[in-house]
Amino acid sequence: MRRTDGELILFWTLPALAIIWASAFFLFPGFLHPMSPTMSAEEVAGFYRDETARIRYSMILFNWFGVGLIPVVILVAMQVRRMAHRTPILSYSLIACAGGPPTLFLIANMFWLLGSFRPERAPELTQLLNDLAWLTFTILVAYLIAQCLLLALAIYWDRQARPVFKPWVAHFNVLIAVALAPAAFTALASTGPLAWDGLLSFWVKNIAIAAWIIVMGIVLGQTIRQQRAQDRVAA
Amino acid sequence: MTNRAGSRPQLEEKLTKFVPGQPDMWMFVLFESLLFTGYFSVYLVSRTQNEELYLQSQAALDLRFGVFNTIALLLSSWAIARCVQASREGAYRSALINAFLTVSFGVVFLTSKVLEWVNEIQMGNTFTSDEFFQHYFFLTSIHCIHVLIGFIGLGVVVYQLWSPVRRSQQLVETGATYWHTVDFLWVLIFALLYVVR
Amino acid sequence: MSLPKMKTTEPLTAPDPPAGSWVSRLAWNFRHHPKRELWFAWWVMVIFYQLYGVLFFFVTRVQPPPSPAWDTPTVTQWFSDRHLGILAGFGVVFLITGMCAPMNALLAYSMRRMSVSRLFAYSYLIIYSLSAIPGMLVMAIAMTVAALRPDRDPELIHWLYDFAFLSFSGTMGVFMIGSLVWMVAILLDKNCVFPKWFGYLSLCNALTEVVVAPAWIFHRGAFAWNGAIAWWINMVVFVTYTGVFIVLLRKMIQREDFGAGPLPDLPDKGVADHSDAAEAVR
Repeated sequence: MRRTDGELILFWTLPALAIIWASAFFLFPGFLHPMSPTMSAEEVAGFYRDETARIRYSMILFNWFGVGLIPVVILVAMQVRRMAHRTPILSYSLIACAGGPPTLFLIANMFWLLGSFRPERAPELTQLLNDLAWLTFTILVAYLIAQCLLLALAIYWDRQARPVFKPWVAHFNVLIAVALAPAAFTALASTGPLAWDGLLSFWVKNIAIAAWIIVMGIVLGQTIRQQRAQDRVAA
Repeated sequence: MTNRAGSRPQLEEKLTKFVPGQPDMWMFVLFESLLFTGYFSVYLVSRTQNEELYLQSQAALDLRFGVFNTIALLLSSWAIARCVQASREGAYRSALINAFLTVSFGVVFLTSKVLEWVNEIQMGNTFTSDEFFQHYFFLTSIHCIHVLIGFIGLGVVVYQLWSPVRRSQQLVETGATYWHTVDFLWVLIFALLYVVR
Repeated sequence: MSLPKMKTTEPLTAPDPPAGSWVSRLAWNFRHHPKRELWFAWWVMVIFYQLYGVLFFFVTRVQPPPSPAWDTPTVTQWFSDRHLGILAGFGVVFLITGMCAPMNALLAYSMRRMSVSRLFAYSYLIIYSLSAIPGMLVMAIAMTVAALRPDRDPELIHWLYDFAFLSFSGTMGVFMIGSLVWMVAILLDKNCVFPKWFGYLSLCNALTEVVVAPAWIFHRGAFAWNGAIAWWINMVVFVTYTGVFIVLLRKMIQREDFGAGPLPDLPDKGVADHSDAAEAVR
């Protein structure tokens, strides 16, 4: 008998997490609208001086809940385990990916917090911290792309009468992976869609992540409910 | 550590009868020796580029420590060889005593090594003092790590010899092979660092 | 995680592969090969290492490493020579970092196949998953930020230079402990998944992580981050070790019988060709 106590509790942290992340996102003055890489050192220092409070509180909020998505990713990995695969390779791969994005995000978060800790610091140093933060935040797509593609592959290979996830979920994940890919190259441009405040590296990337969370959240919820129903019938 | 359960290719069967202990350990010995040869080559090359400095710093080494260390390890090798011999003959009590003797000599070696390091450091010769001492501390430290690993190996040997249900001759010989390698590497280090002037 | 029930609808002997072009054979293998997950992970690993070599040595040209002893103007010059290479090359690195995951999964799987506790597989998975962050990504991030603004204060660029190379070479504990975990698993294993000499080779690899530690201390000489011992000899050991385990993992996948007992050896050449019909693409 599978032990399922507590799974739904952790699952339902997802909407709460989404609300918290969205609030912190809007609270941070550097996201709407996003800071440009072309800002001079003085402008960046000015930003940290003028908006210190909002930067600090939003980033503290992010720091508290940075790893909040991991239980959900693990729930997805557990669903992959139920698929018609011969080996646990794909669920292992997903678990291997799970820690990456939060770690990178927390590093970026740390750099933002450091920048706001002593706003009177030399502007070049503040700009350095800001660069490190923005770059790390943008390139955390590294693991997310792998996560999406691995999940898509797992679904394609799940050939059974009632697959765990429907095929469109796989297509969706491939789409998200493609949407996230440009952000990896953000350092190549300081203006335009590829720059870290641009259409591709900021808007498309973050909207894609939000879309993934919402869609996978719903799909996961339905799948867990189906699974529980099946378990009850089998019992 | 295990005994192979499945069938083995014929070459391995032949090798096993040919060499004492696991043939795998001999591959490791070969690789480690190559590695240390690399380290020694780097040492010799940088020595030729700065012979004055090296000669000067080498004079600060106490040859007596070096000789004592070498004797301690040679005695430990002799002890482990006797242990293997006794184990082959089935005289397990004697084998165990010799194994413990090996460990004791190893501990003597380590203690005297640490004393020597403390001595050098007190004289002002540290890892970062000059090039010679960089190599000296590096080579002796990496060797000491191998000695510590050797203790783990000897632990396995003792563990095997202790109870009648184990006593894998192959494992005892494998551990002994490793220990001999540690001794062999030390002799090379001794020759290179202490003697060659 | 408990042992899975064989929930596959594929029969153990799949339909015969088509004898056509390699494209059609690849497609067939993708859909039907009984060991496709393992081969997928293996190929991801091989491709990753090729890309890694090309990106770090030829595109970004950050390896072989430059000297920690250089003065600031030389360092700034080094960056401006590599401006585009670094930005583009590390962009690709950011894109493909996730390829490490199936690779680590395959190695964890090899430990799962052994007779030792699952503890080894899970520990290794976590250790190596996080290893890429200090060991590769931090370097990529620091290098990218350093190349981002060529007019940045040279002292800051020099600091990022140190940060990058020290983080790349000097964050060794993760790899050392990971190698040791794999080594202990191999030496204790009764299922003969790997030959014992490979366990001892893992010890050599773990020790190279000890040997690289002086990179944190020296600016020049054999033990600096670009030194003869701390980099060149270490690189030889690492490349040898990696090449060896890629080959051994290939053998493991070929031998895999999805059981829990000792892994059978590969049959002799003649028999192997016949039963290899299902291993068409390899």
